[in-house]
Amino acid sequence: MDNITIGLWVTSGMLVMVVLGMRVAFAAALAGFIGIIWIFWAKMGYAPEKFLYWNERREIWDGALGKSIAIAGSVPHSKVSSQALSLIPTFILIGYLAYYAKLTTALFEAAKRWIAWVPGGLAVSTIFATAGFAAVSGASVATAAVFARIAIPEMLKAGYNKQFAAGVVAAGGTLASLIPPSAILVIYAIIVEQDVGKLLLAGFIPGAFSAIIYGGMIVGIAVIFKSVGPPVTGFTWRERFESLPPALPIVAVVVIIIFFVYNPFGDAWGTPTEGGAVGAFIVFLMALFRGMRWPELKSALLETAKLTVMIFTIIWGVLIYVRFLGFADLPGAFSDWITSLEMSPWLILICILLAYAVLGMFMDAIGMLLLTLPVVYPAIMALNGGEAVTAAESSFGMSGPMCAIWFGILVVKMAEFCLITPPIGLNCFVVAGVRDDLTVQDVFKGVTPFFVADAVTIALLVAFPSIVLWLPSLA
Amino acid sequence: TEWNVSVWGKRRAFTEHVEKLAELVSAKTNGEFTMNVSYGGLSKNRENLDGISIGAFEMAQFCAGYHRDKNRVVTVLELPFLGVSNLEEEVAVSKAVYAHPAAAEEMEQWNAKLLMTSPMPQYNLVGTGDPRDTLAEFEGMRVRATGGLGKAFEAVGGVPTSVTATEAYQAMESGVVDTVAFAQHAHLAFGTINQADWWTANLNPGTVNCPVVVNIDAYDMLSDAHREALDSSVDEALDHYLANYATLLEKWDSVLAEKNVAKVEIDEAVLAEFRAKAADPIRDAWIADMEGQGLPGQELYELVVKTLADHRASN
Amino acid sequence: MAGSSAVLEDGSLLSRLDRQLLKLEQVFALISGLAVFSLMFLAAYSVGGRKFFASPLAGYVDWIEALMPLIAFMGIAYVQRDGSHIRMDMVIGKLSGRVLWAAELLSVVLILLLMIALVMGSWAHFERSFDCARPLCSRDSSIDIGIPIWPSKLIVPVAFSVLCLRLMIQVWGYGRALVLGLESPVAVPLVQSIEEQALAEADQLGGHDNG
Ligand code: NA
Ligand code: NA
Repeated sequence: MDNITIGLWVTSGMLVMVVLGMRVAFAAALAGFIGIIWIFWAKMGYAPEKFLYWNERREIWDGALGKSIAIAGSVPHSKVSSQALSLIPTFILIGYLAYYAKLTTALFEAAKRWIAWVPGGLAVSTIFATAGFAAVSGASVATAAVFARIAIPEMLKAGYNKQFAAGVVAAGGTLASLIPPSAILVIYAIIVEQDVGKLLLAGFIPGAFSAIIYGGMIVGIAVIFKSVGPPVTGFTWRERFESLPPALPIVAVVVIIIFFVYNPFGDAWGTPTEGGAVGAFIVFLMALFRGMRWPELKSALLETAKLTVMIFTIIWGVLIYVRFLGFADLPGAFSDWITSLEMSPWLILICILLAYAVLGMFMDAIGMLLLTLPVVYPAIMALNGGEAVTAAESSFGMSGPMCAIWFGILVVKMAEFCLITPPIGLNCFVVAGVRDDLTVQDVFKGVTPFFVADAVTIALLVAFPSIVLWLPSLA
Repeated sequence: TEWNVSVWGKRRAFTEHVEKLAELVSAKTNGEFTMNVSYGGLSKNRENLDGISIGAFEMAQFCAGYHRDKNRVVTVLELPFLGVSNLEEEVAVSKAVYAHPAAAEEMEQWNAKLLMTSPMPQYNLVGTGDPRDTLAEFEGMRVRATGGLGKAFEAVGGVPTSVTATEAYQAMESGVVDTVAFAQHAHLAFGTINQADWWTANLNPGTVNCPVVVNIDAYDMLSDAHREALDSSVDEALDHYLANYATLLEKWDSVLAEKNVAKVEIDEAVLAEFRAKAADPIRDAWIADMEGQGLPGQELYELVVKTLADHRASN
Repeated sequence: MAGSSAVLEDGSLLSRLDRQLLKLEQVFALISGLAVFSLMFLAAYSVGGRKFFASPLAGYVDWIEALMPLIAFMGIAYVQRDGSHIRMDMVIGKLSGRVLWAAELLSVVLILLLMIALVMGSWAHFERSFDCARPLCSRDSSIDIGIPIWPSKLIVPVAFSVLCLRLMIQVWGYGRALVLGLESPVAVPLVQSIEEQALAEADQLGGHDNG
């Protein structure tokens, strides 16, 4: 049996294990491990003694099993001890610390006083407050949970439709993964081996763009259906300015992360890894100032550790599978197949994005990206004309590195879209979980208009790549 | 026979001898013995020796400076200011050290046999701002340089700063480092030349040594004809590498001109001062360290010096 | 999709072992959290040193790389204990009774076999970097300042061994539930509906009433 056939069998086996409910990290690692054994045994000719061969000269297991144990066992340490990956725990920690720095209420208060006067004002304020919180939070679900507690009661008090208010929060939560810091963008960068800094930079404008489209849609709905969300007025300028200082650390973090990657006025301040850590340090000081003490810090650290380990376990698990793919060369075969298709590259791209939409209905965002990218990403790059292609010669009209960034933002936006689509839209479950008076069906109903907004956003990002690529092309 | 070969990055001047070797071996054996060169798919670059030791793949490339404790003997070739001035000399001294029993013995612990070097030119600096051409100007200079080279700059007051090769451009742009020490192909590949105002043409502080090794079991298992095809292709592959690198070096001057990078020639007096401060103490410390661990440090160093002299005499 | 869930406790030997191991797992997880915390100071120190004192932290990258395994692996058993490692529960969430326990048992047995292999493999990886005939026992050193790598490599088999212990407890727990046909067994994470999971997840953040 040739390596490609082995690759297909092992990949199918992994997907079956994942669907049947084995933990994703271990299903991927097990598939990779078995795949490596299979490859080596096939190479040695399937002789039984080659499976458990003991090399007496070197006193080690040298058969297919022994080699595979050694190969798979070296992957976790080898892949995890990377400076770039240290961004992930830092970004997760920032989010938890920001909560104790009371940045959520501060943001919502400021957004309310400044923009609640527009039609649908509190909903628009919620969207912009979640976008602001996204700048210190790497996790969508956490953002939705926090704002369900703060923003929904205020909207209900102001006479908002209950389902709509819930939908606003569920949708607003999805902004956290595009606007940096974003753990999922870092993971994408690591898997596809692209510049983390440029990817983070690329997330800003599409994230803000999504927020504006959400906001515009809310205003439109509020103007047409007067009952949906009346404006809230009556804040004095004094009250407005008073609301700003508590939200300032957000600005500081945004500025730091941008300036550590790209400084429009001169030399950047350092590397993204340093920027993330310095941002976390500032939020930490803020949290101390706002009364965080050891018990709160300890729980923030434990929660950070937990989420970090969950993510890293999937990362090294999938990388064992990827190591197997390296031996089987399946990604090469898949991209050969994709590029041989007699279809427009744009059509293929749209099919791949639609496939992500379907997959995302059932799968977690990080798991979905990690499992698919090792195979899909090389195919997309090949479709565009290769890693080193110039913009003029490419299929999508952008150079190799730019295509990597653009596709990253597209798949992350798809993954976020899946957080609010039925049947398994995690953000909607979280919002319903926080509010006793809401069912999951209510939230899904309320979030429906936002599908349209997201579909429009994705279509625009596909049609006008410069929305994504303008900022990173400066750096 | 099919061999897997683990290298990293993208195909570039640095990997041309491996590609050529694969081509030659396959041609000489009518396609019976092929090599499958994988760029990073089989191992991380710093774990290539581990992979050879396991037998995960049959051939691999690595650099001695990535993990000095794994390959103490060959780090002699990374000592600063050995006086190697071109790639041919680099090939000659590497060959001599690789043939030394201490080198073979240490590699055998990894189940590896040294096949050939990947000759690298001297790691000259690119930098921003005013050229640094006196030792006083090295004081406080943040320089991206690893291993013995980093120690050399430290000896004259520089501050070696750790950033990975891929982050070097960013580090330079952001002022994390003032200067970066690379070979020419790496200055081009990692874009540091685009940030540069000047390049030191004759500092020649040293280089890294990156051997290509084969797994001993796999090598022993080759049929005589296949082993002969492999062994006889090494010199040819290296010649191809040298020719290819030479065209790159020819282009180098035009790249400097095009990017408006000044070519800095440092005074011989300054170089002598640098050598005295950096080369001698670092070499003495290295020899003492090796001898302390029961390795023939003095002998290895003298081997390099002698080989260099012989090579020059014969040319 | 994710799903931390409740683990029931009682006075049985299994449950007592579960809680003893939990203590160790919590300590390990806290070490991981503290390591994340130290990343922050390391960067602040490195940037501050460079910007203001012209003396960057020597070997910043080496130190981060040495810390990463502490961050990434130490909490692995703690997360397995309450079933928080991500999975798709579309299918398994519909099962109940003995069929469910059989499926869960099969899954943890497979994971246990995998992890035993990975303990062996990661130990071998450590062993290749460790040789006490040499200074600092080091046979593999970091790229920049040459610190020994073996302590960082040793973390992996240690953390994986604790996970193996956890998996053995879960094999016992699910096996017992399968044989005895239990409704709600102790010492194993019980499948919750997605709604229950979401509620639990939201409670983690909202429990401290200062949001
Ligand atoms: Na974010
Ligand atoms: Na969904």
